[in-house]
Amino acid sequence: MSQSFSYNTNSFNTINAADHRPNILAWLSPLEPRLRHQDIQESRMEDIGEWLLQTEEFRNWCAGSGGDESDSTVLFCRGDPGAGKTYIR
Amino acid sequence: MLTSCDVSSLVIDRLCDQAGGQDVAVACFYFDFAAQKEHSPTSVLGVLLKQVVGGLDEVPGEIVKAYENQKKVLGGRGPRLSDIVGMLQTTTSEKRTFICIDALDECVAGHQVKLLGSLSQILQKSPGTRIFVTGRPHVETEVKRRLAGRVTSVSVTPRRDDIISYLRAKLNEDIIPDAMDSSLEADILKKIPDDISEMCVWPPTLGRLR
Repeated sequence: MSQSFSYNTNSFNTINAADHRPNILAWLSPLEPRLRHQDIQESRMEDIGEWLLQTEEFRNWCAGSGGDESDSTVLFCRGDPGAGKTYIR
Repeated sequence: MLTSCDVSSLVIDRLCDQAGGQDVAVACFYFDFAAQKEHSPTSVLGVLLKQVVGGLDEVPGEIVKAYENQKKVLGGRGPRLSDIVGMLQTTTSEKRTFICIDALDECVAGHQVKLLGSLSQILQKSPGTRIFVTGRPHVETEVKRRLAGRVTSVSVTPRRDDIISYLRAKLNEDIIPDAMDSSLEADILKKIPDDISEMCVWPPTLGRLR
């Protein structure tokens, strides 16, 4: 009896959560960075900056799993002041 | 030509391409001076969580419960920062996650401290998570201090190849191509990258080319 009750409760919760999925996601944050990403992606010139993806720093950061103490968990890309948005494009 | 957001979008696209088919989550956020007010730590971390959860088959029970509880009060209260951090700690521990933050220097200083503190809490619980940050040099110290060690930094300045690719693309867009002959084009592709490398003040020069 108790097993059947628990099953019903779970299935009810699952359906409920699935119905509310868009509302729950909107509740987490109103921001939509996907749109900004799309804009930037479209205006970006092909091949420029590709070298960064080939650097050892990027590859190690990307492949590291956190198990090794020497792994870098954070990769910081420092843009020099002259390389900013103001001057270019 | 090579802005921080270009670098971020390049990295995000590469991570998304690699993630395809694998059990990996990629979440990103681009800061912007023009929208500093809306970019509070709660909304920024909330949107990172939203992207991670958006990739899951089901919304985790913990999040459904928090949503239902908050919905009942004040006509629907938003999630709290501590709750979001807790939920991110759980979700990122269960799935390999890449978090990308663009232009951290464009985030209000007070918010920056809170954001980095929260990211540090996430890393403590979920050491497999990888964080990518771009920003001007002055925020580097803060990133290193708040995210306690294990930070690698790379300087992003355009390379000679970048300058040549940029020039080629601009020459291709020329609306009066007849005014250009091959020797002038070859000159441009040689001299400008040479001069820029010597001067190291390339952005204004390229700006005038437009």
